[in-house]
Amino acid sequence: MAGTMPDALIGAMPPPVIRSGPGAWLRKHFFATWYDAVFSVLFAVLIAWVLQALMQWAVIDAIWRVENRELCTREAGACWAVIESRGRLILFGLYPFDEQWRSTLACLVIIATIALSCLPAFWSIRRLPALWIAGFGIFVMLMRGGFAGLPLVTSEQWGGLSLTLFIFSGVVVIGMPLAVVFALARRSSLPVIAKSFGFFIDIVRSLPLLALLFAAAVVVPLLLPDALAGNKLMRVVVAFGIFFAAYQAEIIRAGLQSIPNGQDEAAVALGMPYWSRVVDILLPQAFRNTLPSTVNQAVITFKETSIVTIIGFFEVMASGNAAIGNGEWGNQYVEVYVFLALIYFVFVFVFGLSRYGAWLEQRMRLGHD
Amino acid sequence: MTDATIAIRALNTHFGNYHALRDIDLDVRNGETLVICGPSGSGKSTLIRSINGLEAYSSGIVEVLGMAVGDNTRVLDRVRKRVGLVFQNFNLFPHMTVLENCVLPQVRALGRGRGAARLEAMAQLTAMHVETHAEKYPDQISGGQRQRVALARALCLKPEIMLFDEPTSALDPEMISEVLDVIQELARADMTIVCVTHEMGFARAVADRVILMAEGRIIEEGTPEQIFTNPQHPITRDFIGAIKS
Repeated sequence: MAGTMPDALIGAMPPPVIRSGPGAWLRKHFFATWYDAVFSVLFAVLIAWVLQALMQWAVIDAIWRVENRELCTREAGACWAVIESRGRLILFGLYPFDEQWRSTLACLVIIATIALSCLPAFWSIRRLPALWIAGFGIFVMLMRGGFAGLPLVTSEQWGGLSLTLFIFSGVVVIGMPLAVVFALARRSSLPVIAKSFGFFIDIVRSLPLLALLFAAAVVVPLLLPDALAGNKLMRVVVAFGIFFAAYQAEIIRAGLQSIPNGQDEAAVALGMPYWSRVVDILLPQAFRNTLPSTVNQAVITFKETSIVTIIGFFEVMASGNAAIGNGEWGNQYVEVYVFLALIYFVFVFVFGLSRYGAWLEQRMRLGHD
Repeated sequence: MTDATIAIRALNTHFGNYHALRDIDLDVRNGETLVICGPSGSGKSTLIRSINGLEAYSSGIVEVLGMAVGDNTRVLDRVRKRVGLVFQNFNLFPHMTVLENCVLPQVRALGRGRGAARLEAMAQLTAMHVETHAEKYPDQISGGQRQRVALARALCLKPEIMLFDEPTSALDPEMISEVLDVIQELARADMTIVCVTHEMGFARAVADRVILMAEGRIIEEGTPEQIFTNPQHPITRDFIGAIKS
């Protein structure tokens, strides 16, 4: 053979070696060079020290029961007795003690609703709204009662985590459909509609949330007759919902703009009516394209619910402050804030399930091959 | 007017200052296969899209199956249910399976029941030889298969006229014939077809008539034989020379 390379030379080159196994993995990721090795060891020591200190404080030296509360000193570990004593206040606010099982159940229903909406099986224009209306409806019925022997508990007595969840899910249930309407109206071919909705969205987005909520709580009752004004909590949730809708509408609009023109044209050419083109073709693609931004908006909204404290609602953050506010447990603020942080963390984690959902859907498709 | 299935008179289309179609007169008979070719920017796509009202025009008359294609949306809806269009880029709905792509338009446009729609869809997918891919998503099949699915999707509505806007231009060369073959079968079955394409072999095999467009006008018209072997207009000669080489 008249090759360009002598056979002897080809024989002399060993094939590249692919190393595998945990040793090779460690070497590649942590000990590839001498300075990699130095930083790896340094951080390993640091992490071990932090973990050990945390374990010591949170578990080993911790005081768990209220009976032992006199042991809670600055030198001792975490005083989780405060959570045993005030946990129900943080979770349920001033909800009647004997009825708090309803509050617990209601919270679980909403958590299940959020978790289920992260699964591709529910990503349809019919199932998702149905899921949320059902979840939110069951939540309100459980919380409010007043039927089948359940005593009526009006929203003035709602508080803690369950109030946070009520505000969040109410905002989503009102805000998401509004956002779709706003986004479609802003893309309307009628300039009057497109311009006026664009103006409205930009105005709402330029207002601070707090100003909007104050206006809903304080100003609206002055303008509307009592029958229309509803109670303060409802007005605040509606105002918050409009605020959410203005931001979410822009996300949906971006999603709609990312869809190639040919999609709508194909649907038009097939004789599909406008509502079907929107519901079957455009919105499902717009939501899929903007899933990370939409989840982000939901997480931000969840955390921002704490702002209603200022207009006198005791959601989970305010209840946490109340738990340490009266002096009895005044020294245990670190434990209470850690507990609050864990609650928020759990929820952000549940929202994070949507990434798992996106991965599932991808895998489902590949599975067909 | 005439007994033509498609009758176009003095059609003019402007995009802003750009004069895309100039005084187009065209009749297509029932069962005829018409091929439109011409250099890019000559208005072929604009013309074919005017037939089902996807492109608005400035003046003239477009009459399809006895209905005036204008801005009356009710008439447009009726026209679109009887006129199928296949695009260069397939435009399948990526979030639905192949089967659902074919079922949904029947349900939404014709109000057909899901069961009947599914039967029709499977029949059309089988006719296009893509029935084994029914449960796949569009991004899991090849370009040639996608275009045949797009054709099946349009045929599910039982159109009387099929429009093709460069159906093979986005395909790899080895997939062109599998798409042209199924269009040819349609032509043999006496479907009225208007097809924008540069595939000369296809035009020779199936076209009853070829028209050549340039700068928004129809500059030459005749049988495939006349156009491809004995072009009269200088632009036609250049164009035929270019696509032959």
